Amino acid sequence: MIVNRITLLGNKDHGKSTLIGSLLMETGSVSEQRIREAKKTSRKLGRQFEPGYILDSFEEERINEMTIDTTRAQVKYRNTGFEFIDVPGHEELMKNMLSGASYADFALLLISAKPEEGITSQTKRHIFVAKMLGIKKLVVAVNKLDAVNYNMERFEEIRKDVGSYLDKIGFKNININFVPISAYNAENLVRHSDKIRWYKGKSLMDMLAEVSKSAKKDIDGELIIQIQGFFDEGRKSVFGKIISGSMKKGDRIILLPAGKAVKVLRLFTSGRETGSARRGNAVTLELDKKIGIDARGLVGVKKKSACRSGSSIRAILLMTKKMGGRPSIKMNGLEIECRKMNVERSIDVATGESVVSGSIKPLNAGMVELKLSREIAMDTFERTPEIGRFVFYTGRKFSGIGIITE
Amino acid sequence: MIKQDIKSLEERSIYIIREAKTNFKNVAALWSMGKDSTTMLALARKAFHGKVPFPVIHIDNGIDFPETYEFRESLTKKWKLDLIVAKSEIKPEMSGFACCGANKTVALKKVLKDYGFDALIVSIRRDEHGIRAKERVFSPRNKNFKWNYKNQVAELWDDYSSNDDSDGHIRVHPLLDWNEVDIWEYVRRNKVPTNPLYFSRNGYRYRSLGCLHCTTPIKSNAEKIEEIIKELETTDKEERAGRDQDKEKAYVMEKLRSLGYM
Repeated sequence: MIVNRITLLGNKDHGKSTLIGSLLMETGSVSEQRIREAKKTSRKLGRQFEPGYILDSFEEERINEMTIDTTRAQVKYRNTGFEFIDVPGHEELMKNMLSGASYADFALLLISAKPEEGITSQTKRHIFVAKMLGIKKLVVAVNKLDAVNYNMERFEEIRKDVGSYLDKIGFKNININFVPISAYNAENLVRHSDKIRWYKGKSLMDMLAEVSKSAKKDIDGELIIQIQGFFDEGRKSVFGKIISGSMKKGDRIILLPAGKAVKVLRLFTSGRETGSARRGNAVTLELDKKIGIDARGLVGVKKKSACRSGSSIRAILLMTKKMGGRPSIKMNGLEIECRKMNVERSIDVATGESVVSGSIKPLNAGMVELKLSREIAMDTFERTPEIGRFVFYTGRKFSGIGIITE
Repeated sequence: MIKQDIKSLEERSIYIIREAKTNFKNVAALWSMGKDSTTMLALARKAFHGKVPFPVIHIDNGIDFPETYEFRESLTKKWKLDLIVAKSEIKPEMSGFACCGANKTVALKKVLKDYGFDALIVSIRRDEHGIRAKERVFSPRNKNFKWNYKNQVAELWDDYSSNDDSDGHIRVHPLLDWNEVDIWEYVRRNKVPTNPLYFSRNGYRYRSLGCLHCTTPIKSNAEKIEEIIKELETTDKEERAGRDQDKEKAYVMEKLRSLGYM
């Protein structure tokens, strides 16, 4: 069964872990034993049982009632597999949030309907992250409707606010659906809720099932192989992963960035010799020529137009901390120093506004130009995400992520 | 329990095992002779065309099941494994947390130090335990084997080797995405050799294998792999229900893991 990976998004305390916990219980996807244990723990802490405890397994998470690190839980519903990725909503835990969200096929954004909660700057930051990660489908669950007497106006108000923020950041061509729920009371999660009669649409699970039908679009392109390293000491066999297209034994391929042309004498998948391989395969290639330099970081293509080589990139960079320290990026399995980094504009993620500025504030983004210390094969994120994105470091510490625009 | 797409799980695990071999100088794997770590070895053989390219370590407390020792000997021979047996001491008065925490972890520390391994492949899965679900694919341990779970490394997309300046070793988890039923489906399709204790005898079978002291069998009539798969698709019980170390009290697993246990 193909499992759809859905990342939760949203401000802390808007109910992400509670929602997943409720969904697990409502769909019978969690063992009685695990529920019993979570209930026992909440009693021990002198608290009412909270479905989020099923996800938040660290002692600290339960005591402080917050998610510290990402986790995943699977649900089977109407013959569709779902994997919910829970992420922390706290600003200072962006690193862990990104680690979880980067695996998702689409996103489920939670916004609390409580008057004092609603759309916050952290909600907006998560929407911005979804856009950067290339998420094309978003389901927005307006949560805690029980706190506002299942009021329709509040739901509509939030729907409008989200829409205008998406416009502001230019998040176009996105498929978006809104569902009113109460995660804690399990209203409108699986079955229609009597308390939300004004809502005629699908329950949350039915909506997710509908959206997942088209979430994994298979658009395939030209052959692109990311080379991981040498298979043996002879430097003639390499292994890697086909990220797009397909190939056959006997193909001539070009190894970028340098552009060396080689012939594939033998091809292997799953440890066995084969005549052809395609996207998703972990492959071994036996080549006709030795590779002089290190194989790691090379990108194999059949047509040069499949991507480009260069040492200068323009990108949108999301910073998780203060700027400062020597910048470097991790891409195609290589860590590469940036000789120069030029911030052209900074983007205030909360308002969506961009201004000319030489620096990026923590938890905000910017448009940057990077001069790398060596050439690398790449593409724009839009065209080939796998070779169009990078992890950003300053002083060898994780500092953010970037997507290549040019 | 969801049966996932086996082919894509295999591709990803092969990729991860190759990442481990490429990124580190001196890799070893833990092998308990259970279904998971044996499946991992089968995947390593695919990644490296028929041979397991790193030593495999059995932390041997001397009280594993006789079947387990027999299985170790036969597969070591068949797959030409480079086996390291790290003896751990068992004190009769110890059990559960103290036993796993002290004995196994101490033996593991010693073998890593003696051989200078910088990475250790461990075949844990997310669906086994809430704490294991929080793990990364590449997960650093400091020199005291401590897992800094409150501040884990970033892990974006397929980039597992994110920077880390831990002074210890890296745990590599190639099976994190697999479910218990996926392992059995893989065993079935690829004829991966398995310990006979997993199959029902007189109405009981072992679903998860530990040592003689702390493992109890479950009621089951599953005598064949197909029957195990069917059983798992509908079970409401936790896989490790027969393992004492998980239950004793809340957070035992968290404490064990943060101290360096698998």
